[in-house]
Amino acid sequence: MHFYLPVAEMSANVAVLLAMGGAVGFLSGLFGVGGGFLMTPLLIFSGIPPAVAVGTESAQITASSVSGAFAQWRRRNVDFLMGAVLLAGGILGSVFGVQLVGSLRRLGQFDFFVAACYVTFLGVIGTLMMIESLSTMRKARGGLAVGGRRSGQHNWIHGLPLKLRFHRSKLYISAIPPFLIGIFVGLLAAIMGVGGGFIMVPAMIYLLRMPTNIVVGTSLFQIVFLTAATTVLHASQNQTVDVVLAVLLMVGGVIGAQFGALAGERLKAEQLRFLLAALVLMVGLRFAWQLIAPPADLYSISSPVGGA
Amino acid sequence: MLRSGARGATAGLLATLAAGFLALAATETQAQRRQKAPPPVAREAPHTRAEEVKRLQQPGARESVQADVSARNVAVTSSFNGIEIVIFGAVDNSQQPSAESGYYDVLIVVEGVPGRIVARRKNNVAGLWLNTASATFDLVPSYYAIASTRPIDEITTEEFRASHGVGFQHLRFTPAFGQTQALSTEDLKQFREAIIRLKEKQGLYIQDNFRVAFIGKSLFRATIELPANVTVGPFETRVYLFHQENLLSQYTVRLNLEREGVERYLHRFAFGYPTLYGLMTVTIAVAAGFLASTMFRKAAH
Repeated sequence: MHFYLPVAEMSANVAVLLAMGGAVGFLSGLFGVGGGFLMTPLLIFSGIPPAVAVGTESAQITASSVSGAFAQWRRRNVDFLMGAVLLAGGILGSVFGVQLVGSLRRLGQFDFFVAACYVTFLGVIGTLMMIESLSTMRKARGGLAVGGRRSGQHNWIHGLPLKLRFHRSKLYISAIPPFLIGIFVGLLAAIMGVGGGFIMVPAMIYLLRMPTNIVVGTSLFQIVFLTAATTVLHASQNQTVDVVLAVLLMVGGVIGAQFGALAGERLKAEQLRFLLAALVLMVGLRFAWQLIAPPADLYSISSPVGGA
Repeated sequence: MLRSGARGATAGLLATLAAGFLALAATETQAQRRQKAPPPVAREAPHTRAEEVKRLQQPGARESVQADVSARNVAVTSSFNGIEIVIFGAVDNSQQPSAESGYYDVLIVVEGVPGRIVARRKNNVAGLWLNTASATFDLVPSYYAIASTRPIDEITTEEFRASHGVGFQHLRFTPAFGQTQALSTEDLKQFREAIIRLKEKQGLYIQDNFRVAFIGKSLFRATIELPANVTVGPFETRVYLFHQENLLSQYTVRLNLEREGVERYLHRFAFGYPTLYGLMTVTIAVAAGFLASTMFRKAAH
C-alpha cells in the first residue's frame, strides 16, 4: 500500500516506513537512545529529501521521548533548573540552525552539509564509544573492578561566573557551560534531525559532572521541548515537516521501542555500548562513502527553495 | 559466547540493518525506477462516436481531428501513485481505407505547467563531491510527453518541430535572468541537457515513437503515464494530424491534476499556516507518545 506524502510530495510505501520506524524504535529501546541519528539517515537513504527528513524526524523524536521524560519526572530524576538553562541555549541554537538549513538549501549545499555533520559527529562519538566499551570489556574479563564516577574533582568550569545552585544535581556551577552545551545541541538538532542526547549526555556526565540518573531524566526533559520547538521552527521557516510521514514513523517507532527495551534488559551495558558504537560507525561510514564516492550523475535538479 | 536468545536476535537484527544500509546504497537509483503498467487492452472503444463520424463522412472534404482524455480531472489523494491517461480521438472525413494503412500520422504532446528549475553540478573538491556550479532555468515544463504513430522526424518537418516546440531539443525553457551570467554557452547547454536527462530518468519527460495506434480507419488512441512525482496543475494536450509531413488539423484538450480530500487540506495547512501546522504536528506527537506509553503499561500488567 502506498501513501502520498503531502509535504515531501512523493508516494511512499507504508509498510516500508512502518518497518523502518519499528526497526529504529527497537534499537532505540534496546540502547536507550532517541534514534534520530539512525532514522534521519535511513529516511535520506530511502529517497526522502534531506531537509524533509530532518524536519519530520524532530516531530518523531518528540513523540518517542515524551513518555520517557514523563516517567523520569515522576521518579524525580529531572533537574528543572538545569533543564531550563539547557533549553534556553537549545532554542537559541535551534533558531540559528533552522535559519542555516534554509540558507544552505537555497545555496544547494544542505545535502553535503548534513552528510559532513553526520560523518564528523558519528565518527568521533562512535570511535570514542568503541574504545571505551572495548577497554571496559577487557578490564571486566581481567577481573578488575570497573571504575565509577570520580566525584568531587574541580576543573576549569568552576572558575566561571554566573554561578547557580542546581539542587537536584547537587551542583553549584556557572550557568555558562550548560547554556553553551544547549546552544550546540540545539544547532545539531535543527541541522541533523536528532535529539542531541549523544552529545548532551556525555557532556553532562564528563563536563558538568552531574549524577547519571539525573542526567538521563534532564536530557529527556530538554529533548522533548527542544525537538518540539525545532519542529515548529522547521514547519514555519522551511515548510519541511511532513505530518503523514511523522505519524507513520511514530506508530512503527513506539511499538518497536517496547520490544527493544525488553531485549535490552538481557544484555550487559558494555556489550550494548559496543553494538551501539558499531552501528554509529556504520552510519557514519555510509555518509562518508556518499561524500567521497564519485556520484552516479554529476548533475541534480530541484525546484528553487524560498522563492530564490 | 551468546547465552540468551535475545542476544542472538539482537545480533541478527543488527546484521539485517547493516545489510539494509548496504542494499540501500546499491539500489538508490533502482528504487526510483517505476514499474511499467501492462499495456492496456482495447477497452470501451467509443462505438457510438465512431458511427457518428462515419455518418458525417463526405468524400473529398478536408479532414479534421477531435480528441479527448480518459480523465479530465485527476484527483491527487493520499493513495495517489501515478496514473495512466488514455487519449483517444477520431479523424473526421477519414480517407484511409483501414487502421493498418498508415495513411495518417498522429502526434500527441502533453505538457505540464512551466516553472523554474535549478540545476546543480558536483565537482570534486579536495576529495569530496559537492555542488560547485548551478544554473536556473525558467519556463521548464514540469511534465512533457510525446506520443506518435511513427518517429517524429519521419512524420514532421524540422520547421514544424521548432515552431511548435515538439521534441526535447525544441523545449523553450530559458536561462533565468540574472541567475546565469557567469556561465558559458557550453555550460548552459550541458545544464539544459542535464535537466532533460534527469527529467527523463524521473519519468517526467517521455518520448514514445509508436505509442499512438489507429483502431479503425478514423479512431486512434494512446496511453501516457503521469508518475507519482508529477507536479499538480493544468496539463495541455495537443493532438496533431498529419499526412505526408503536412499538418491537416490540430486539437487541444486540457486535463487537470488537483489535490483533493485530506491531501489538499494538509498541503494547504502546511504551506498556508505553517506555524499552526507545526504546533498541530507537535500536539499529535505528544499525544502519540502518551497514548503509546499508557497502552503498553496496561498491556504489561
